[in-house]
Amino acid sequence: MAVLQTERPVRRPPARTSHRRQFTGRTALVLLAFMLPAIVFVALFTYYPLLNGIQMAFRNYNLNDLSDTSWVGLKNFRTLLHDDMFRGTVKNSVVWVVGSLVPQFLIGFTMALWLRRKFRFRGTYQALVFFPWAVSGFLIGILFRWMFNGEFGVVNDLLMKAHLIDTPVPWLADAKYAMVAVIVANVWYGVTFFAIMILAALQSVPDELYEAAAIDGAGKVRTLFGITIPSIRTTLALTVLLRVIWIFNSPELIFGMTGGGPANATHTVTSYMIQVTQEGDYGRASAMGVMVVFVLILFAIFYLLAIRPRTPRTTARKVAG
Amino acid sequence: MIRSETLAGRIARFGGLGICLLFTVFPLYWILVTSFKAPGTIFAYPLKYWPGDFSLENYRGLFSQSNFAVFLVNSLIVSTVAAALSTVISLLSAYVLARFEFVSKGAVMGAFLVTQMIPGFIALGSLYILMTKLYLVDSRWGLVLVYVAVSIPLCTVMLRGFFENVPASLEEAAMVDGCSRLSALFRVLVPVMTPGLAASYIFNFVNCWNELFLSVTLLNSDNNKTIPAALNGFISSYNIDWGSMSAAAVLSIVPTMVLFAFASRYIVEGLTAGAVKE
Amino acid sequence: MRYRQMFASIAAAAVVAAVAACGPGPAEKANGEVKLQMVESLTNPTRTALLKKLIGDFEAKNSGIKVQLISPPTNQADQKIQQMLQSGKGVDVLEVRDTTVGPFSTNKWIYDMAPELKGWDGLSALTENALKVTQQGGKSYMVPYGFYGLSLFYRKDLVQQAGFSGPPKSWSELVEQAKKINDPAKNRYGYSFRGGLGAGGNAVAIISGYVIDELNHDNAFKLTNGKTIFSSPKAVDALNLYLDLFKNASPKSSVSWGYPEMVQGFTSGTTGFLLQDPEVIATVKESKTIKEDQWGTAPLPVGPTGKAAQPLANAGWGVAQGSEHKAEAVKLVKFLTSGDAAMTFSKENSLVPILKSAADDPYFKDGPWASYVAMNSSPDTYIVVTQPRGVPWSTEWGNKSDADVQKLITGKAQPADILKGWDDYWTQKWAGK
Repeated sequence: MAVLQTERPVRRPPARTSHRRQFTGRTALVLLAFMLPAIVFVALFTYYPLLNGIQMAFRNYNLNDLSDTSWVGLKNFRTLLHDDMFRGTVKNSVVWVVGSLVPQFLIGFTMALWLRRKFRFRGTYQALVFFPWAVSGFLIGILFRWMFNGEFGVVNDLLMKAHLIDTPVPWLADAKYAMVAVIVANVWYGVTFFAIMILAALQSVPDELYEAAAIDGAGKVRTLFGITIPSIRTTLALTVLLRVIWIFNSPELIFGMTGGGPANATHTVTSYMIQVTQEGDYGRASAMGVMVVFVLILFAIFYLLAIRPRTPRTTARKVAG
Repeated sequence: MIRSETLAGRIARFGGLGICLLFTVFPLYWILVTSFKAPGTIFAYPLKYWPGDFSLENYRGLFSQSNFAVFLVNSLIVSTVAAALSTVISLLSAYVLARFEFVSKGAVMGAFLVTQMIPGFIALGSLYILMTKLYLVDSRWGLVLVYVAVSIPLCTVMLRGFFENVPASLEEAAMVDGCSRLSALFRVLVPVMTPGLAASYIFNFVNCWNELFLSVTLLNSDNNKTIPAALNGFISSYNIDWGSMSAAAVLSIVPTMVLFAFASRYIVEGLTAGAVKE
Repeated sequence: MRYRQMFASIAAAAVVAAVAACGPGPAEKANGEVKLQMVESLTNPTRTALLKKLIGDFEAKNSGIKVQLISPPTNQADQKIQQMLQSGKGVDVLEVRDTTVGPFSTNKWIYDMAPELKGWDGLSALTENALKVTQQGGKSYMVPYGFYGLSLFYRKDLVQQAGFSGPPKSWSELVEQAKKINDPAKNRYGYSFRGGLGAGGNAVAIISGYVIDELNHDNAFKLTNGKTIFSSPKAVDALNLYLDLFKNASPKSSVSWGYPEMVQGFTSGTTGFLLQDPEVIATVKESKTIKEDQWGTAPLPVGPTGKAAQPLANAGWGVAQGSEHKAEAVKLVKFLTSGDAAMTFSKENSLVPILKSAADDPYFKDGPWASYVAMNSSPDTYIVVTQPRGVPWSTEWGNKSDADVQKLITGKAQPADILKGWDDYWTQKWAGK
């Protein structure tokens, strides 16, 4: 895949290459034996059902009527592309991913910058702020569904106490607000992931760079864009990529919070896939899944090419054969 | 230190951090408070931000009206075992991927990474049929096996990152002394990598603990259900009882939170080191 | 090093857990005992408890048969049942509904019980409607346990306070009364609007009442002229009124209300009217907020021409084709749909009963049941019609129509647009796409 080199965490020892030697015979067998369990598990329980699922995308495969499951080529895909509902979910997915990602990134980045300087209880603070990541998306959905409840929800109560609104907002009942509510929940979920990943990267930037910049009289903004961001750009880029994939691919939060409603206002491609699966149309659901995988892989490739350093370092790629 | 900070900057920084902390902790606080309110007072208006009369009624109801204790034990069994198995299996594969070059290596890594991009629903139907054929439907063991398979790719990538922090000379020396590769791995490398292994284990554990759609699909009877599968039943059933629901949420969040807070640093290290390597 | 200790303790915990999990689970089979797996789909806790009690009675009478009841959450139950049936294992007896009997039998997933039911004395105890369902098309894929028919639950006290002498008879009266009762400032609303799961079905109920004079009774989505009911201009009037009911007499959050929320709205005293199945009678009786004398039921509201279409929905029990214990499975189905078990299920789950003998049972005459008696006794006003509920696309239609109703009430689409879409949808489906 991509040719990338991360900035080194401080403790990493330099020796690494000497061991990447050729091997033969007995060693190969041992190594194969080491790899085998992982490969067998992934092949049997992930790839076999996956490929099986993918072939349904090209068949008329509807659990409500299995008398004719013939091959239909790209019909399922065509149906989807002409389906307003599906197009709506694509639009929602983009809003959902971008709307969640941008605040997550900005807040997470700012938090990381704030956290870079040591202070008392920083460890405790990090541990506390890390909590959301341990909660499942589904539970977060339920939690925020409760908080955004139109009649008894705490969000409305707080906003009214702050005199920001006069009457309760039916957050999850009104298509105008529902997407905002699920995005707020998702931002809550994801901010700390960014903060902590970026913090880890920031801590690997050598202090000398900053000292040099300070001697040059660089201001805060210049230091940020001239030193900090370039030094950690790879981590930033990869964290964003990972997040995009995860946000796109995790319907749990939406499933728990709105189930895609109201009026499909919060249905993303993957949450809609759940619904179509429940309707029994495995063919169409699989076609959606295939499109998702395809788009994500394409996205990942282009993205990685785009962020690739101008002068690739030669050490990174060394695949024999 | 980096650069001296003005008082205003300091105030802004701690103010900002305070707001972030509030934003993070409040939802968790709210679910905790809700869980301790007496059943009748949950819908009381105006809202109470502190449970006036602290009540354990929701928790009592949760255990008496549902098999919550059973769900808890099931979740514990499934997550503990699956996380352990997948960590061990990933340890072996990560070792190979970190230390050696071979023809199909790129393909293996690619295949692992692609699993992260698959929306799980595409495979659920076929997986169910496969599991039926193996007599593993509605079985905690079946779920364990699937969780192991699902955890392996990311765990391998993480552990591979950790392996690269350990000089190869270590196990080479052991092998010169007559250890087999396997025993060199376990006797020499594993002890050095304990933080990484612990982090990977916890990461797997939490992911299994939280997993929803596979457990909902593969488990049927109440005796086998894990917590997420049970919560899914609560929420879609007839009447959402927010009191018991919040009690259940608290009970299912707390264990993972404690674990995660503890291992977060290492998990991040594994993710950054591992993911960026490819 | 504390990490090592931690890891060791985790590993130890893993081993303990593994050993614990290895022990004999509850699914172990005793010698010579037949174990039946039974799956329900309209799961709710009260009903599940009732079923378990009846199963207990069955097991007591039939030593050697054990039944394990699986209760998936309602909104995912059909998917789960489909998966089980497709895999051919893990299910013997299952809940079959008018919406699922078609797909299940098309796929040869369920067993035709006709041979076993031949000469069963239970058949003669069934009402005419129930017998019809049992012997649809000469096959017996299910024996119904009850019928679901809509009636209007209303708050006697609120109707009176609003200055009306009795519950509304027609849809327009309903809207009028609901608007009077509606008072958001007091957290009181007129109508428990169904905007979430099942929203489409209720919209169809009002449309049917408006086009009743031209309705094809055997396919209640068609007019006598062969077009869909959604093509009628009267359907637009119906949806306009329905929209009015939402906008001016229902809580805003009811956009997402499904079955539990709308029932809860009524039982918590928030709403004045609720259009629901008799099943709800039991639930409302348990309400601590509204008392017995505060509520009653009225017949389904009629359309402008004074008639209503009552689509009797049914559900029952069937046997999986893949079952290895069909004889025992059929035995259980028979047990549940005859005698005391059937009567208890109808009463405690409050369903329109399947047994003839219920006609003599005072239980089904008084109080909340009165409206059903009233509807039964005037079949020309409350016309029993058959909706195309068994079509392969019925789940898809359910989701589509729910979403469309939400679009309607959130102002994203006009009644005419919605109806045009529905007309196209059914016309195309009937034409075979």
